[in-house]
Amino acid sequence: MGCSSSLPASNAGGLSNANNVSSDTDSKNFRVKLVLLGDSGVGKSCIVLRFVRGQFDPTSKVTVGASFLSQTLALEDSTTVKFEIWDTAGQERYAALAPLYYRGAGAAIVVYDITSPESFNKAQYWVKELQKHGSPDMIMALVGNKADLHENRTVSSQEAQEYAERNSMFFIETSAKTADNINQLFEEIAKRLPKPASS
Amino acid sequence: MEGGGDSFGSSTAPLAWHDFLERMRQPSAAEFVKSIKSFIVTFSNRAPDPEKDSAAVQEFLENMEGAFRAHTPWAGSSEEELESAGEGLEKYVMTKLFNRVFASVPEDVKSDEELFEKMSLLQQFIRPENLDIKPEYQNETSWLLAQKELQKINMYKAPRDKLACVLNCCKVINNLLLNASVVSNENPPGADEFLPVLIYVTIKANPPQLHSNLLYIQRYRRQTRLVSEAQYFFTNILSAESFIWNIDGESLSMNELDFQRKMDSARERLLGLSADSENQDNQANLDAQDRKSENLKANRNSDARLSMKDHVQGSGQDMRRDSDVTVDGKPVERVQSISDIEKKGAAELLNDDELNKKFQEYPFLFARAGDLTIADVESLLNSYKQLVLRYVALAQGMGVSPETTLAQSSQPPSDLVGSEEPENVNDNEKSEGISKTSDDVISENDRPEALDIKTSEKMTQKTAVDPNDDLEALKDEAPCQPENA
Ligand SMILES: Nc1nc2c(ncn2[C@@H]2O[C@H](COP(=O)(O)OP(=O)(O)O)[C@@H](O)[C@H]2O)c(=O)[nH]1
Ligand SMILES: [Mg+2]
Repeated sequence: MGCSSSLPASNAGGLSNANNVSSDTDSKNFRVKLVLLGDSGVGKSCIVLRFVRGQFDPTSKVTVGASFLSQTLALEDSTTVKFEIWDTAGQERYAALAPLYYRGAGAAIVVYDITSPESFNKAQYWVKELQKHGSPDMIMALVGNKADLHENRTVSSQEAQEYAERNSMFFIETSAKTADNINQLFEEIAKRLPKPASS
Repeated sequence: MEGGGDSFGSSTAPLAWHDFLERMRQPSAAEFVKSIKSFIVTFSNRAPDPEKDSAAVQEFLENMEGAFRAHTPWAGSSEEELESAGEGLEKYVMTKLFNRVFASVPEDVKSDEELFEKMSLLQQFIRPENLDIKPEYQNETSWLLAQKELQKINMYKAPRDKLACVLNCCKVINNLLLNASVVSNENPPGADEFLPVLIYVTIKANPPQLHSNLLYIQRYRRQTRLVSEAQYFFTNILSAESFIWNIDGESLSMNELDFQRKMDSARERLLGLSADSENQDNQANLDAQDRKSENLKANRNSDARLSMKDHVQGSGQDMRRDSDVTVDGKPVERVQSISDIEKKGAAELLNDDELNKKFQEYPFLFARAGDLTIADVESLLNSYKQLVLRYVALAQGMGVSPETTLAQSSQPPSDLVGSEEPENVNDNEKSEGISKTSDDVISENDRPEALDIKTSEKMTQKTAVDPNDDLEALKDEAPCQPENA
């Protein structure tokens, strides 16, 4: 199994409003809604759990599965970003519901599996969707997951990289299994977020 | 979920609500009381216009929250106290405006009826597989618990309380999925697992006026409080609703023709036409074989525990509408009582070769008190809860009251099972149509902690608010004072 089954989750909540990126109590703390898109089985849940588990908080004892999780990331400039991560159902029959989820999102992660060309096609479908219907200042990341399975690779990094560039997204390959590049993925998104004006 | 950041913090715990009313009664709150009163009066005198109404309420709540911050009796209060004042205000105002704004335009009423009808057809034949619910996550009996949470939605008037029903339903599903994932050594469940179960549970629960309830939450829950986790799960039920509206053959992985046939025969069954469909079925010879075997399955299912639920629902519908006489275009129903059905079942059981097998599910049936150990209590209690749930759900589904000894004689002396609410399953409900329960109450001492949900404590603090509590000053003008007791 790529990810284990008894993970702690951090708190959800917060009282500020639902803008793409919103400032919590002061200009150094931000909240952002991040939506996960991609075929079933590409590793979305594992990526999030990996990210959240990496900053395991032993005092938190509740876990509610991996459909909604939040995690705060401290950046070098001493700002913090709280990611509120919205998982979406990847099965084909639910594809039409996605707009309800990505509406108002500040960031989107589109995931495919480097061993599955179909999942890469599906990722391109999501990118187009987001471009058509998402908010224009949404930060988008293209993620090739299961990088640990490189001997079975069928989607070349170069192809994906070029596709990402053409669509002004950033691209990264990750492994939820080995934790490779998972934190980097979220840090990169955090850096790219438009920060509400600080003093 | 520790701390005040939780979307279901302590804000409308009973104490907070009383504190809100207390402070509102202080002389220094006179100005606030006047504003609230005048807002409610002005609002109530205007013709319904959902968009404007929603904007007006949101704006009023926002302004008042700002004013609380700056004036006695709240000036200098902590953020948390201000937050509960805001919750108190929302609850107060919306309880007063409920009748004026809930399902207040014909489109909403029509949508409610259509959605209700669609779900009552779908629930007769939909299977977990149709929605991609993996076998290891299928657990129809436990899903009843989630259905029950959702069905409470019409017991409340405050947006927060209605929202809490949705969230509690989601929590139950999440907990069940999580347990199942641990048992089957699967990865923790995500949206792929969650959404299909929520859709399934929603269809099976089919709470009356679901559409209006969701719109009401969306319009009148203070926007700044419908964020984060609450917003996520609320979005999921909106998404479930949207999926259900659009369900066709393809979305259930069925042949479109097959889907239409299933809908048709579900409709016939609902209208009571199918009781003798075996004689009448001249419409589709192709179909007849199919349907016969389906009926057979529905009526004499003796093996699978899984299908118990469908058995109950499917054939219950059959028996319930055993007349096709219509008055004003509506079928008149002659309702069989539970004891009629019980007698019928008992007679059938006596002729059943597999009688013993059927009772294997109930290990305590022939036990004596002396046989039991302390260790049996938990499993006994679980069995008891399942039994009560099925029974009450069956009674509810039939639209009759649970009349027998089950409810009383097995009531434990203590408060162990405080969460059943047979008082809601009453005959009035039938005659008054679908929304009866929504009228009486913010009451209830009902305690879902019996469900063993870790978070239930927080989530259910909405309960136990005294509905008779009211601002003395506002009492005479209250347009829709909760009127139970
Ligand atoms: N080898 C490998 N397997 C992975 C990785 N990420 C996920 N998996 C496996 O892929 C399957 C699907 O993962 P999941 O997170 O449930 O996918 P989701 O449907 O996109 O949420 C699971 O069996 C995981 O163990 C990875 O980085 N490497
Ligand atoms: Mg998943």
